[in-house]
Amino acid sequence: MFALALLVALSAGDAPADSLVQRPPALAPRAAAPAALIVHSQPALPLVALRLSLLADDPAGYAGVGHLLQHLHYPALQEQVARVGGQVRLERNSDALVYTVVGPAAELAYLGGVLRSALAVPRVSETTLRIEAGVLAEERLAEWETAAGHVRAALRQQLFPQDLPATGTVAAARRWTVEALPGLWAQMYRPERVSVVAVGDVNVELVARAFGELPEPPAAPLPEPRVDTLPPRPPARAEATQGWLALGYAAEPGAEPAALSLAAWLLRRELRAHLPDASVEVEHWWTHHGQALVLVASAPEAALPVARRALAVGLPSLLPELTPGRVRAAAEALRREMLFHSRGPANMASLLGQFADRGGEPDAAQRFYDALGATGAGELERLLTTLAARTPARVELPPQPLPRRP
Amino acid sequence: MRRTLLLVAALLALPLAPAAAQDRWVVRTEPGTPVVAVEVLVAAGPADEDTAQAGVAYLAARTVVEPIRHALDSLGARLTLQAHKDALSFTLTAAPDAWEDAARVLLVALFRDPPAPAEIERQRRVVLAELRAREANPADALGRETDRALFGERHPWGRPAVGSAATVQRLSTQQVDDFLRTTVVPERALLALVGPVRRASADALFTPFFPPGPLPVAEPMPPTPADSVLRRDYNSITTWIAAVYPFPASADVEALGMLADAAAEMLEFSAARRSVYDVRAEVLARRGGGELRLQMVVPPEEAEAWAQRMRGVVASFADPSPAASARFREQLRHYRGVRLLSLETPEARARELARQYLRTGLASIILTLVDGLTGDRLAAASRALPEPLVVFLGPFYETPQGKAAP
Repeated sequence: MFALALLVALSAGDAPADSLVQRPPALAPRAAAPAALIVHSQPALPLVALRLSLLADDPAGYAGVGHLLQHLHYPALQEQVARVGGQVRLERNSDALVYTVVGPAAELAYLGGVLRSALAVPRVSETTLRIEAGVLAEERLAEWETAAGHVRAALRQQLFPQDLPATGTVAAARRWTVEALPGLWAQMYRPERVSVVAVGDVNVELVARAFGELPEPPAAPLPEPRVDTLPPRPPARAEATQGWLALGYAAEPGAEPAALSLAAWLLRRELRAHLPDASVEVEHWWTHHGQALVLVASAPEAALPVARRALAVGLPSLLPELTPGRVRAAAEALRREMLFHSRGPANMASLLGQFADRGGEPDAAQRFYDALGATGAGELERLLTTLAARTPARVELPPQPLPRRP
Repeated sequence: MRRTLLLVAALLALPLAPAAAQDRWVVRTEPGTPVVAVEVLVAAGPADEDTAQAGVAYLAARTVVEPIRHALDSLGARLTLQAHKDALSFTLTAAPDAWEDAARVLLVALFRDPPAPAEIERQRRVVLAELRAREANPADALGRETDRALFGERHPWGRPAVGSAATVQRLSTQQVDDFLRTTVVPERALLALVGPVRRASADALFTPFFPPGPLPVAEPMPPTPADSVLRRDYNSITTWIAAVYPFPASADVEALGMLADAAAEMLEFSAARRSVYDVRAEVLARRGGGELRLQMVVPPEEAEAWAQRMRGVVASFADPSPAASARFREQLRHYRGVRLLSLETPEARARELARQYLRTGLASIILTLVDGLTGDRLAAASRALPEPLVVFLGPFYETPQGKAAP
């Protein structure tokens, strides 16, 4: 686990300047193990989903470049996968760059080759790069323009300041150039940081053969070291006709993930029952940066004080409700949600891969599934008591005043 | 038995159990699939409704399923409802340890519990809101106009399967109640079950609900199609075109599916076809035949040319030349993937099997998919198609020769 980064606020003249984000070196040995290959047989259909993930942070000072590379690869990947009637998905999360393709199992070798091509630096012009940088800028703003995204992004900055947005920052985007891409990729990519998950009508030998030797990183000079900076104000104002409240409790390192997921499930149900006029979500955030229990509510202005109080006392007020029966029911519900979510090969690959990317063993998803059933009320009580004693990160968005009719 | 996420289905690895011809249910045992999907088809729809009662089947079905959603939620089960021209479709998905309870809840609600008058009124309000929103949708309007033209004004399938706001508004509680008691009955129902299930479990659960013997077969009324070209004014800035090719029961449905997929690819937006806003293609197969529907959205001034192009593209598949043969291999490669992906989830496979059963009367557990498709079959399927019915929906102006695009 990374040490928490230090956030230093700077000032330059009258205008508030961006703040520095210090991060560990991009290739800190959080996953020094060789490339993992996870194969799960789902023989119902001659279909296969392949998920390739590269565990990597963006190089310091170049936040967002990983996702930019994904955007630059996307048209070629899409075109190639469409030839076999398949689909391709890209994802940049806090842990990894992820590419998933799904298509006929008979095309396994072809699809493996397509995915391998994403491990090379894309050959693009500066114009293409600038166009895609523009698309990322829109994505960046979109995260902040919706209230639901805004409160979560602001909360993430408080809870995990080293976890920069996948879309990068305005300052970093200025440094993205075609010339710099090979060096940046050389810093991010190592074959031993790649994991492959295959789900479908396939076996380990076939998948191993389809991926063969992964390419070596390019021999390119490393980019000039820089630092990432965050703007002092959110990049965009949120559009919100209701008020939004968010609380985030960072969990201790080593906290049991299954217990946190159960606590989130139980708390969500409890808060929804107590706040019929509000929309409530309780989430378990879990990345290699750490874990947190996050409570988000939106409500009309008149209902905000009640919602604020309910969220503030949410954790301790759950304690008396923690009967063994309720905890068992929550575990059952969560397990069923996992089964439902993973009923197609692409989603099963995504689920298995997410667990592996967080530094887990190849069977981490299965262990989590088992741990849900093994977690008792006492363990949940201890977890909630510890969390409730901490000062949560807090974000509030007031409702926008609507223009009155004359 | 200890349940596990990945191995839950493997424990039940069984030889596939074919259905007896007289059975009302077909079971496809799939070791490795994490959930169970149950598709219940009740052969009830517009053919069982008076013109003035159009929509009673859909309203009745909603009245049955909405009150059980809470019970299904508590089991972690999902239910969707769809009204087809020839049947009501209820699709249930549940974890392997909950599917029997969930299916029992659905079957009891469908065939044993009387509807509550208050629920009928509640659902009427919901359906009316849904229908009013759909009436303003051009895609929906094109579907309605096409159905009316294809089947004829007096044919029950010429009406929307969900009815219209005007007719649903007038339906009495008694009419809905009567429809449920006389038409939504086990004698008209069949099921398909997909997932890690034993045939014996299905038999034990379903036998008490269903009478022995095959599903009574009702042959559809012959249609009375309108002229081959129809133009309808619609307040839009684009023109919506449907080209519809009816086919008989003996048609090669899989070859037509491939033709639809390849035709859509040849018409969709690309650098060479920049004015195409949208293209859809589907094959609707029912007892007694069906139709291949192509749909495009284009600028009004290009509508006639695109309609001609649609006809040309469909006719081009009849070409037995070597060039067409080379093209066929690429198209088949694409179609195989598209077809497999359309069946990615267990509920999609359950739907497919149930529809196949309803359409052909043959209970099969095997999805043959694209195996055996050849260029000759594709050419023969194309040659067998009649001249299409073409429907234009959009802005027109009057000329001495009739309506024309601006």
